[in-house]
Amino acid sequence: MSTAVLQLIINGLLLGGIYALISIGLTLIFGVVEIINFAHGEFLMLSMYASYWLFQLYGVDPYVSLFVVIPAFFAIGWAVQRIIIQPIIHAPPLNQIFATVGMSLVLQNAALFFWKADYRTVRTAYSTVSFSGLMISTPRLVAFVFALAIIAALLIFLKRTYTGKAIRALAQEKRAAMLMGIDIYRMYKIAFGIGIACVGAAGAILIPIYYAFPTVGAMFVLIAFVVVILGGYNSLVGALIGGLIIGMVEAFSGFFLSPHLKEAVYFVIFILILLLRPAGLFGRA
Amino acid sequence: MEMSSNSRKTSRNPFHPQVYVPLALVVFLFILPILPRNPFYEDLILMIFFWGTLAAAWNLVGGFAGQISLGHTAFFGIGAYTSTLLWLKFGLSPWFGMFAGAGLAILVAIGIGVPCFRLRSHFFALATIAFGEVLRHVASYWRGLTQGGVGLLIPFKPEIGNFMFRSKIPYAYIALGLMLLIILVSYIIRNSRFGFYLISLREDQDAAETLGVNTSRCKLVALIISVFFTAVAGTFYAQYLLFIDPDTVFSLPLSIELALLTIIGGLGTVIGPVIGAFILIPLDVLLRGYLGGISAGLNFIVYGIVLVVAVIYFPRGIAGWLRSWYEPFLRRLPGSGQSGGGEGAFTSPALTSEASDPKDANPGVDEGKSPLFRVQSLSKRFGGLAAVRDISFEIKKGEILGLIGPNGAGKTTIFNLITGFFPPDSGRIEFKGEEITGLRPPHKVCIKYIGRTFQLVKPFSNMTVMENVMVGAFSRVRRASEAKEEAMRVLDFIGLSMYRDSLASSLTIADRKRLELGKALATKPELLLLDEVVAGLNPRETEEIIEIIKAISRQGITLFIIEHVMKAIMTLSHRIIVLHHGEKIAEGIPAEISRDRKVIDAYLGEEYLA
Repeated sequence: MSTAVLQLIINGLLLGGIYALISIGLTLIFGVVEIINFAHGEFLMLSMYASYWLFQLYGVDPYVSLFVVIPAFFAIGWAVQRIIIQPIIHAPPLNQIFATVGMSLVLQNAALFFWKADYRTVRTAYSTVSFSGLMISTPRLVAFVFALAIIAALLIFLKRTYTGKAIRALAQEKRAAMLMGIDIYRMYKIAFGIGIACVGAAGAILIPIYYAFPTVGAMFVLIAFVVVILGGYNSLVGALIGGLIIGMVEAFSGFFLSPHLKEAVYFVIFILILLLRPAGLFGRA
Repeated sequence: MEMSSNSRKTSRNPFHPQVYVPLALVVFLFILPILPRNPFYEDLILMIFFWGTLAAAWNLVGGFAGQISLGHTAFFGIGAYTSTLLWLKFGLSPWFGMFAGAGLAILVAIGIGVPCFRLRSHFFALATIAFGEVLRHVASYWRGLTQGGVGLLIPFKPEIGNFMFRSKIPYAYIALGLMLLIILVSYIIRNSRFGFYLISLREDQDAAETLGVNTSRCKLVALIISVFFTAVAGTFYAQYLLFIDPDTVFSLPLSIELALLTIIGGLGTVIGPVIGAFILIPLDVLLRGYLGGISAGLNFIVYGIVLVVAVIYFPRGIAGWLRSWYEPFLRRLPGSGQSGGGEGAFTSPALTSEASDPKDANPGVDEGKSPLFRVQSLSKRFGGLAAVRDISFEIKKGEILGLIGPNGAGKTTIFNLITGFFPPDSGRIEFKGEEITGLRPPHKVCIKYIGRTFQLVKPFSNMTVMENVMVGAFSRVRRASEAKEEAMRVLDFIGLSMYRDSLASSLTIADRKRLELGKALATKPELLLLDEVVAGLNPRETEEIIEIIKAISRQGITLFIIEHVMKAIMTLSHRIIVLHHGEKIAEGIPAEISRDRKVIDAYLGEEYLA
C-alpha cells in the first residue's frame, strides 16, 4: 500500500473519531427521546466557542476545558429537554421538528449577533509529528483518542449502571420501562443531557483543529446525520463505525474528487442508505 | 342533503356574506399596493404578497399532505437561477424562463420526492434539508455556470418583455396575482377529492391507502403544484432584486421561514399562510429596518423564538382561532338569511340493536361452485419466523367466515397479505376469479372492492366524522357532493349521523369502531375484512356492533372476520377457520369447531366446553 493511501486512511480515521463523537450524542437522543435534534450542530458550535473563550480569556487549555464543558453542556441538555422537548414529547412530528429547528435558528443567529461571523481558532503548541513518512497531527490524534475514550465510557455507563440500563430499557419499550418503575421523564433529561455533553466534548476537542464560526455546526451536523443514518439511528456502536466510515469517505473523496464535492458525496450515501437499508448498517428495523 | 343544495344556492347569490366578504377582501388587496405612494410601503406590501405565495405553496406539501419539507429553498433557487441564466446567456425573456425554471424544478422534485416520500416524517425533513444544502454547495462550486458565491447580477433594462419595471407597483400586482392564484388552487384542492386524500394521508397513511388513496401519487402531485409556485416565485425574486447568490436563494432559513409563516397563520388551512405573511412580514421588515442595521441575525433570533413558542403553545395558528368567530360574524351580516334549524335533532341511528331482524331479506350464501375468494397455500416468513404457513381456504359469496386463533397465530398477517401491506412469499390469492396475489400497495386492493378495518382503529383524527367517511366514498365517486351523500347514507346506517360534524378524535372507542366500519363500507366493498371490531367493547356495545355486522351481511357483502370474542364469532360465522402458529388446524361450522379437540387444546381451553 502506498504511503499516500496509508496517509489518507490515517486522516480519515482521525477525522472519523470526531464525527463519531458528534454523532453518538445525536444517536442517543434519537434512540431514547425519539426526536431528531436539528439543533445538534449548534450545540457543537456553542461548545467550540466555549472552549475558545475559556482559552482566550483565562488561558485554559482546550483539553482541560473538557472538565468545564462536559458538565455545563450536560446541564444545558437537561434544561432543553425540560423546557422545550418535554412539552411536545407526544406532539405530532411537525411540532417536534420545528421546535429544534427554531432552536437552531436562535442559537446560530445569537452567535452571529454576539461574536460576529469571524473565524476564530486556538493556536496551541501541539504540532504534527512525522512517523516514517506519515504525517500525524497531534491534536487530531489526541482528538481521536479522546473521542474513543468518551464513547467507551458512555458504552460502559449504559451497560453497567442502573441509570444506563434504565435508559436502554426506555429506548426499547417506553411503556414497559414505565411499568418497571423507571422515571422516564428523568431518564429523558439524562439522555438528552448526555447527548449534548457528548457534542460539547466534541467541540472542545475540535477547537485546536477547526475554526469556530456561527454556521460551523450546520456544516458538521449534516455529516452527523449521515453518520447516524449509516450506522443505524439507534445503535451507538453503529454511530462509531459510521463515523469512521464517513471520515474515510471524506478523506478519499477529497483526494480523488474534490473537497468541495464532499457534501454531494454525503448526500448520495445518505439517500442510498435510506433507500436500500433504512435501518442503517447496524440498526434494528 | 338540504345543507348541500342550500350552500350551492348561496354561492351563486352575490348578496350573501359568504360571497361578498371574500370579494371585498380581494378588492381590498387590489387597492392595498396603491394606498400611499411610498417606496418603503410598496416594498412591504409586495413582500407580503411574495411571501404569502411561497408559504401557501409550502402549505400544500407541509400542511395539507403533512410532509415537512425543509428543502423548498432548492426549488426556489432552481427557479431563480434557471430564468436568470437563460436571460443572461441566451437572452430568453424571464417570462418564458420562469416556466423553464418551474419545469426543471418539477423534474428535480420528482427525482427527489419519489425516493424520499417513503421516509418517516423526521427523516423526510432530514433528507430535504440535506438536499437543499447540497444544492447550495453545488451552486457555489459550479463557478463556470453560476459564478459561485459572487452571485449573478442582472443588468437593469426595464421593459415588460424583460420582466423588469421601474416602479414597484407592477411587481406588487404580479405578486398579488400569484398569491390569489395559489389561494384559489388551495381552496379548490381543499374542497375536492384530492384535498380529502392529502389530509387523510397526513392523518394516517395506512388507513388512507386502505380506503383507496394512492398516497404516493397524491404526495407527488401536491409536491409538483407546490414546487411550480415556489420556482416561479424564485424567478420573481431574481427579477425584483436583480441579484441572486447561492447563500440567499438556497438558504436553509428561507425554507424554515416558509414553515414559520404557515404555522403561525394556520397549518393546513387555505388562507393561514397568507395571514402568517401579513403578520410576520411587517414584523420582519421592522426588525430588519430598526435592528438589522445594528446587527445581523437579530431578526432570525426573533423568528426562531416565535417558531419554538408557536409549536409548543399555539400549534393551531391564527386561522384556527379566527374560524371560531368568522362564521358567526358572517351570520350577523345582512343577506345571510339564516333561518336556523336544519342542524341538530337527527333521527336516531337507523340500526339500534332491536331494529334489525335476521329474517329480513337475506341473500344468503351463494352455494354456486366458484367461490368469491380463494387462497391457496399462502406462506409468509419474517426472518426465521414462519408467520403464515401453507394456508388455503375459500369464501363463498354472501358468507361470513370467521378466523380465530391465539395471539400471534398469524391472523392479522393474513389480512395484511390479502390487502397489500406486504407480499406473500408463496401461494396464490384469487378474488372473483382474478388473481390478486401480492397486489400492492393497499389502495389497489381497495379499488378491487376488498375493504378492511384495523384492530387498532385508525381514525383521521383531525377530520370530522363525515369527512372520514367521505374519504372512503371518494374511492367510487369524484364529486364532493356525491361523496357527501354516500357518507350520509353510511353514517345513518352505522348510527353515527348525529356526530357527523364532530372531530373523529372526540369519539368514544365504541364509536371509533363504528366509524372504522363506516369508512370501509363507504368504499362499497364486496368482500370486507374485519379485524377485531368488538374487542374492548362492553356487552351492550358488542351487541350493537354485531347487529350492524349482520345488517352488512344482509346487504350481500361477504365478510371475513377476526375475533377473540367467542360469542360474537360463534353467532356471526357460517364457517370458522382456526389458526395456530401460522398453520390452519381446523375448519368447519361453529358447532364443530367448538368441539374440536385440537382447537380446545390450542385456543379455546377446557372451560369453553363446560
